[in-house]
Amino acid sequence: MLIMGVLGRQVLTKDWLETGFLALLPITEQNPEIAKAVQQHNERLNKKVIWLTGAVTSKEAIAQAQQLKQRLQASGLFSKLMLELPQQQMIKQYQQLFPYRYQLLDAKTKQTLSNNPKDLLSQNLESLYSPLGQLLTADLEHDPLLLLGRYFKAQNPVMLSLEKGKVILHDANQFWALLVSDLEDSHLQLDKLEALLALVNSSSSQVQTDGGQLLVTGMPLFTASGSDSAKQEISTVGVGSSIGIIILLLLTFRSLRPLLLSSLALGSGLLAALVASVLVFGKIHILTLVFGASLIGVADDYAIHFFCDSFGTKTWRPQQALFYIFPGLVIGLLTNLLSYAGLVFSPFPGLQEVALFSAVGLLGAWLTVVLLFPLLLTGFRSAHKPVILKIANYWQQYWPVWLLKNKRWLLPFFILFIGGGLWQISPRDDIRLLQSAPTELLKTADKVKQLLPMYQENQFFLVSGLNIEDWHKNEQQLLKQLALLTQQLVLTHYQGLSDYWPSEQEQQENYQLLDKSLYNSGLINQYMTDLGFSDKAVKTEQNQFALAGNHLFSLPSWLETTDDIKQQQWLGCDTNHCSSMVSLMGITDLSRLSTLQNLPGVIWVDQAEQFSSLFARYRVSVSILLIVAYLFVFAGLGLKFGWRNALSITSIPVVAALFSLAMMGWFDQLFSLFNLFALLLVLGIGVDDAIFFFMAEKVKEDIDDKRASTSLAVTLSALTTLLAFGLLAVSSTEIVHAFGFTVATGILMALLLSPLVGHKAAEAPPLP
Amino acid sequence: MFFCRNSAHQQLINYVSIIVLLFIPVTQSYGTELLADITSRLLKAPISQGTFQQEKHLKILSRPLMSSGLFTYDQSKGVIWKTLVPVPSLLLVNESQLISGQGEQNAPAAFGKVFKAMLGGDLNELTEGFLITGENIKSTWHLQLKPKDEFLQKIINTITLSGDIELRTLELQEVTGNYTRIDFTQITHPTQLSTEQETDFERLSP
Repeated sequence: MLIMGVLGRQVLTKDWLETGFLALLPITEQNPEIAKAVQQHNERLNKKVIWLTGAVTSKEAIAQAQQLKQRLQASGLFSKLMLELPQQQMIKQYQQLFPYRYQLLDAKTKQTLSNNPKDLLSQNLESLYSPLGQLLTADLEHDPLLLLGRYFKAQNPVMLSLEKGKVILHDANQFWALLVSDLEDSHLQLDKLEALLALVNSSSSQVQTDGGQLLVTGMPLFTASGSDSAKQEISTVGVGSSIGIIILLLLTFRSLRPLLLSSLALGSGLLAALVASVLVFGKIHILTLVFGASLIGVADDYAIHFFCDSFGTKTWRPQQALFYIFPGLVIGLLTNLLSYAGLVFSPFPGLQEVALFSAVGLLGAWLTVVLLFPLLLTGFRSAHKPVILKIANYWQQYWPVWLLKNKRWLLPFFILFIGGGLWQISPRDDIRLLQSAPTELLKTADKVKQLLPMYQENQFFLVSGLNIEDWHKNEQQLLKQLALLTQQLVLTHYQGLSDYWPSEQEQQENYQLLDKSLYNSGLINQYMTDLGFSDKAVKTEQNQFALAGNHLFSLPSWLETTDDIKQQQWLGCDTNHCSSMVSLMGITDLSRLSTLQNLPGVIWVDQAEQFSSLFARYRVSVSILLIVAYLFVFAGLGLKFGWRNALSITSIPVVAALFSLAMMGWFDQLFSLFNLFALLLVLGIGVDDAIFFFMAEKVKEDIDDKRASTSLAVTLSALTTLLAFGLLAVSSTEIVHAFGFTVATGILMALLLSPLVGHKAAEAPPLP
Repeated sequence: MFFCRNSAHQQLINYVSIIVLLFIPVTQSYGTELLADITSRLLKAPISQGTFQQEKHLKILSRPLMSSGLFTYDQSKGVIWKTLVPVPSLLLVNESQLISGQGEQNAPAAFGKVFKAMLGGDLNELTEGFLITGENIKSTWHLQLKPKDEFLQKIINTITLSGDIELRTLELQEVTGNYTRIDFTQITHPTQLSTEQETDFERLSP
């Protein structure tokens, strides 16, 4: 235990808790290319927090945003804060692209040039004569056709209003200033998330005091609020259940010792589990912690059986007690370890973590009970007969009798009930159930999406080809379809690199198109002369054009000129494979987008959907593992006690689990991977209950007393488990609720059935 | 006029910051009295309409770009700028929207305000973004507006407004030496908009 403590100090001071969902998924499951794309995509989204300060005038909105920026800067949480658009960068980009203006034609310009080149000229005139024309026409001297202006305009279809270099959005009654921030690291550590939530809250109230409004959204906030609410709920339920357990144990034993000792057993189990898991896995996931800790709850049984044994004998000595219950404890431990062993073989990293965590935890708690309790319980004696003991004993004697007497109608009824329930059960694996975001947060996100048309969605396309030309062709095919879907309002915007960078072949075509339509035909000379350009200027332009004939802009050099968002969309080239991401905004109909994956080289990536289908597959494989676990237990017990006895012992958790499943069906409860963990807990406790009743029977002396103390132990253990985990059924997070519900129904059934084990109808005293 | 098609990108180095229109907080209002005097001379009417003649003098072109057309100002609805010659086009502006021949564009919030303030003779509104000097002599008044905003100073030298009971001329001097002059003539103040004007304004949501 000392070693544990020292190790714990070392291990747990590092950052050991993982909260991201990606970590739960097997890496081998995904094709490495998609994995890379998803990782890049998530890294980007996991960092982004979007802030909008709103006020009645744009001036106030900007002032609010500036103050906010200072606060955010002071927090040190962010690596990047962008309020002003980087003007210098844009100027530089203009300069870098300028030599390639004849090659970089946007789709609309190309179309106009091929249909009627004169239209392009009259569009230019319209801009030149407009009172607004100044900027578009500003480089008239060097680019008389305003080609690069057109290219830039097409590149940023979302027109944003700028004021003093800041993006200003507006709705019916307010102006909003946009501030985009990147968190320092995308791993979303818990303490950072808490700091972020605190910062959001304090900033909101600050902005509100100043008469404004603050909208904040982004992945990190969803994750933060998720772990925050889970933590709060678990601690509320935790406090409630602790009080319940304390009262129950105090009333029963009239001594603090059992309470302290069972806490000691569970505590040392948990610590051992934590340390071992962190040592093996480096980091453990928050879900492992929750479910793993629940499974360790089985260990509570060992302690309780030990204490309750003290009621069985008049001259109770802990060493002797250990001698009596030791076989039961060993078998209990082995069956539980067996049942967790199956999880290790799953490819799901989360399940492996849970298996190791629970197994080590259980072993730790068990060792504490077996090694330390005999010493620590010296002198412990329960002279009194607690009410609960009398009730438990009465119940264990007469309840089986009643059950057996009425089995004629009870049995068919029960079978019908279970069959009916199982019939109605329908699995739901939607990952979104895992993260039940508060409506407040969802509302803000929707509002931001409305205001900010380029708010990026979670789904995207992955496009690839044999080489750059091939990739370009494939992406263009996809983008054409997306353009159609945009017109049909399936989405509002999309962004793909091939729209901005024409392939080298297209660049040559663009140049030839200009040559044919305007330069060679002399139309440009006429246009320039009509506008009032000098003859020299016309000649210079023709010369410039002729000189640019063999310019080619390679993709890597183009990427260098562009912003980091576009750079991240490019995934690079291998020997015969190039790929990119196409990002999407304002999706209204997912199904119509996903059908586009039939296009060559196109993969549709919808993580939520893919996670959900993974969950479904793992639910199936864990179901099988669960059945294997029950079979293992049955086989183990069979070898030890004979098949008949094994059958009667195993039937308790099996029937309890079936009952619990049936209840889920009848009450239309969520059935997913996570209920299966609950059933593992039911298995552990149900088997324990049955084994102890069975073992009690084997002890020849004081038969009734042993059964009495065992029934007390079983009742107490059921009640403590119900208090500890069944209470989770009140949770508002659906999976936590489902877990609690499953445990509660399963444990109750196990409690009701276990006295049947080893019950000898003949020996039951007649009803008083 | 001095404005541009706005968007998140810019075309020309010199002009990049024009987008970053206007307005730093009012620190002083120069010549408040002068403005008050001139404002009192101006006819206050909810609707103004008339014709405009615009000359854009660009240094690289040997002759100015000349255009003319009709304008309508409505106090609550905004401005219709209808160019008829040489290239017909329509521009609709209010405080939050800007619609041109090429569709709706998001305009800087300030742009619509300034555009409206100039045409509507709301001189006080203009003190927010400009240092104003000028003279008020019997027949006409002149005002020189110099942008307070650092970005804008790099592009706009001065804007000169002149008029009598109406705004008659607007002249924009750019730092590059290019300048634009707009003359307003045949100004009337109908009490109602024509159906055509109403239809145009309907395209602007309030």
